Amino acid sequence: MTDDELTASRRDILKTGAVAGVGLGGGSGVLSTLQPADESGEAVDQVTSFLGEDQVVKTACGPNCRGDCPLDVFVRDGQIKKTEQQVPAASEFKRGCTLGISHVQRAYNAKRLKYPMKRASWSPDDPQPGARGEDAQFERISWSEALDLVAEQIQTTKGEYGPESVYWHAGSGSQGTSGYGRLKQLVGGIQDSFVYGIDTNVGQGFNRITGEGGVFMPPTNTVEDWANADTLIIWGSDIFASQFQMDAEWILDAKRNGAKLVVVDPMYTNTAEKADLWLPIRPGKDTHLALAMMNYIFENEVYDDTFLRQRTNAPALVRVDDGTLFDPTRVSDNPPDGGIVVMNEETSEPNVVGAETGGPFALFGEWTIDGVAVRTGLAALREQASEYQPADVAEVAGLSVADIKTAADWLATRGAGGILPAYSVGRYLYGHVFGQAYATLMALTGDYGRHGNVHAQHPSYGGPSLQTGDWGNPEGGVSLDTYGYQEILSLLENGDPVQPRFLYGTNSNMLGNQFPNRERWLNAMESLDTIVWADMYHTPTTQQADIILPAAHWFETEDVLGSDHHPNIRYREQAHEPLWEARDDYYIMAGIAERLGHGDKFPDDKREVLDRFVQNDDRLSWEQLRENGTVETDETPTVAYTDAFGTESGRITVYDDDAPTEKGPGLPDEGISLEVPEPLEARTADDWEAQNEYPLVFMQKHSKWRIHSQWANVPWLREVNREPQLDIHPKDAEQRDISDGEYVLVHNDRGSMVVRAKYNEGIQPGLVNTDQGWWAEDFVEGHYQDPISAETADVGRTFAFYDCRVEVERAAEEYQSNQYTQDNPRGTAGSASGGD
Amino acid sequence: MGQAWNRVLTVGGDHVDTPEGSYPEDGDGGTLEMSYQPTACQHCENAPCVKVCPVNATFTREDGIVEIDYDKCIGCRYCMAACPYNARVFNWEDPQHVPEEGTGDVEERPQGVVEKCTFCSHRVEEGLDPSCVVNCPADARIFGDFDDENSTVSKYVAEYDTHQLLDDKGTDPKTYYIQGEMSPGRPWKGKELEEELDEEPTAEEPADVTGDESVSGAAANPTGGDD
Repeated sequence: MTDDELTASRRDILKTGAVAGVGLGGGSGVLSTLQPADESGEAVDQVTSFLGEDQVVKTACGPNCRGDCPLDVFVRDGQIKKTEQQVPAASEFKRGCTLGISHVQRAYNAKRLKYPMKRASWSPDDPQPGARGEDAQFERISWSEALDLVAEQIQTTKGEYGPESVYWHAGSGSQGTSGYGRLKQLVGGIQDSFVYGIDTNVGQGFNRITGEGGVFMPPTNTVEDWANADTLIIWGSDIFASQFQMDAEWILDAKRNGAKLVVVDPMYTNTAEKADLWLPIRPGKDTHLALAMMNYIFENEVYDDTFLRQRTNAPALVRVDDGTLFDPTRVSDNPPDGGIVVMNEETSEPNVVGAETGGPFALFGEWTIDGVAVRTGLAALREQASEYQPADVAEVAGLSVADIKTAADWLATRGAGGILPAYSVGRYLYGHVFGQAYATLMALTGDYGRHGNVHAQHPSYGGPSLQTGDWGNPEGGVSLDTYGYQEILSLLENGDPVQPRFLYGTNSNMLGNQFPNRERWLNAMESLDTIVWADMYHTPTTQQADIILPAAHWFETEDVLGSDHHPNIRYREQAHEPLWEARDDYYIMAGIAERLGHGDKFPDDKREVLDRFVQNDDRLSWEQLRENGTVETDETPTVAYTDAFGTESGRITVYDDDAPTEKGPGLPDEGISLEVPEPLEARTADDWEAQNEYPLVFMQKHSKWRIHSQWANVPWLREVNREPQLDIHPKDAEQRDISDGEYVLVHNDRGSMVVRAKYNEGIQPGLVNTDQGWWAEDFVEGHYQDPISAETADVGRTFAFYDCRVEVERAAEEYQSNQYTQDNPRGTAGSASGGD
Repeated sequence: MGQAWNRVLTVGGDHVDTPEGSYPEDGDGGTLEMSYQPTACQHCENAPCVKVCPVNATFTREDGIVEIDYDKCIGCRYCMAACPYNARVFNWEDPQHVPEEGTGDVEERPQGVVEKCTFCSHRVEEGLDPSCVVNCPADARIFGDFDDENSTVSKYVAEYDTHQLLDDKGTDPKTYYIQGEMSPGRPWKGKELEEELDEEPTAEEPADVTGDESVSGAAANPTGGDD
């Protein structure tokens, strides 16, 4: 299907509509074309539909989109026919997306791994890591041979190089009870983690001054409460394209109730299209904007002074000389834990106050106490914000002054407000400062602990976690040293501090997605003698492995699953046995465990393990799970942040006296201390050293056609979204003599890719984008991860996928030829990948 | 492989999910605009496809759904030319399905015939909403009976600014597009999903199986797959 068939112009005669309502007119009773079989049972010709005749299997989707969608799978004659959204026990959380209902083409996909395989050029004695690559050949082996090899390699590697040379890697690609965590603790070794490394910026900054959440999205009011919001600011997130299945309808509810929707994004997205106010910000200027909004709030005195006095350290007295908090023991002999010194305006005396305590405390002012000059924390913040006048920031960020003021005014004065960032702003090197900035901004407007406050998309629910007992921490297990993803490269490249030799990878297509500077990883992985990888599909990552283990599709497994993002515990009934020789991950783990002498820790039947989870949990019964597919749990408060904050003072530290000093590219050597939000930029900065050579900022947004790199080979989706493209503004393209649809070379000093140019009036001039998640074989050449740096900052410690600059030019003539205009540029993933 | 019965058109730029207009550079207003228009068979009261079909393969059912009798269809494609909504597709090839036998929910459409959205008549007959309604993540679709003033769909059309596509053509579609800040709530709540249907075909339930000639005509084929 071409774009021509999927677009309409306003000039066309079709009128547009926001919402389609369809209905029948005329007509009397219900008609049916269904006929029962007659006595002979041969009247099948009369049956025109098997609707309602399929076995309905209750199961669940399980990638890392956080939808946790319960699904109904329709099975007949042992075949999956289709999927439909399931209405769970907490029924308002029925959800699902285009990908969820396309699962039949994931289950029956030509890229499914069918058998265990071994790289032909690999052997235990002569691993030939240099022979890995896109041309590596594989040969089929039996499961027992594969598991023997894995177990032997673990043993040999541990024996020769020590346990720390066994490296366990897992991504986020699959939910389920695998025993992976259990096995690695029994075996020992080292493990990697998202923390830090991927998307750990925004939450980290928020957490630093609120003490709440971790490094990912912070707690928020749950979605049932969003309709109470009066202003919602979606900041750097295309919520109606990515993760829309759980959030879209609730945002629309809020809009219907009268909420103003503001969208901050350099791209005119699906979400921007729904906004009352769109702020087309320049890349990397988000903290500038937050400070300009604070500036407006200070200038117009529309901050929430009661909230600031009671729940933040705004009134805390700060020493002018060194920026530390004034010592409470100089005011009180017995100050409360974490107490702050404030100036009581009624008595003109300093007091020490604990958490959640309001009073007539000065918010601004300077005093001298015991010969020490002090001012309030809020005064320090106001001074910082005064440097960011809306008029100046408008110029820096490419915005209009009026729009900045409107956004600030709506947030401050329209009632309950919310800011919903996702991870994108954290994909700039210093994105954690934005986390601090928006947490501070919402403190100024008092938007914590009230109905209608929103602090993140995809809210978490605490209730529906499973009671797994010691399953995750087996007796006799050891704790593994953990390295953030951003540290792993150093391990592989330099053996610092340990040198991994054996890698077991699962749930991850790291070389297809989210490991920046791909070529560097490929080279670094040559230090590994053995790479074992389990997956459902033959991905660009399994192509780099030595032993490949075929895992079952989710619908082919039985499981009991918690949910992070809706209050239902979910059941997966098996739709059919795993195809070919694919295996439930549990049995892969059990097979390895048995060979390493831990067979007693993995029951022969996985159901025994699941039965423990069910027996451990008073809320669960097999009967309920099997009959309904879900069990409702509801222990999560609707409104978040109603109690003292998790900081030492129990208050939001709008002035962070204990702030870290950030160091990294683009910053002065001594670093920048972050008591208050300070806009820091690396490659997006106007004065970045290589900006003339590589003038375009390159981002890789999430699309609605994939979850990370999953679903990349579903034919239905490929019909609409055929190949990787580069969103480029026609102005930038024309300057470079690039026509719409031509292949372009996107490059910098790190790497390059060749993709088709897609004119997009909605992308900011100076910015280009390729949606993430395309596999290596989908590119004519290179990969979108090749130009991205794997460098991280001292404090942020997070890969900066969007902090990337490139130049774009028309690709050489050979790339424009017909062979690259097929469904797939390399001619490998079209019909062959499709499962059609 | 896919034969699109429903296409969500991007109204805007030349590519899917792109707007038209000018980008608001340096704080100027810009003129970007984009919206989406789900476009399927409009099930016109005065359907041009029905009028032009030389063999009466396309017909309007008593309940208002416009359907095709694939046995009668001769593949002339007059209906495709007549349809101002571009709602119909032609089967140039033998149908392909995943899984191979298809779902079996709807009739097979062989090579050489025209097909289109049926409002999921096979579901409607069982009291289910069409698949596009139950699967819409934004709950943007409502299906119901306009003859019933109290149906949700009637109330929405009465309350909000609505229009029919190309209403100047006099086709009188049974599909309305609603404008405004609204969301239909949770139209599926309290509605049956397919899994709640009886496992056996519901022979005892329908009021009138044979009374309508055109419907029984459409029911002559053995089951096949959908796409």
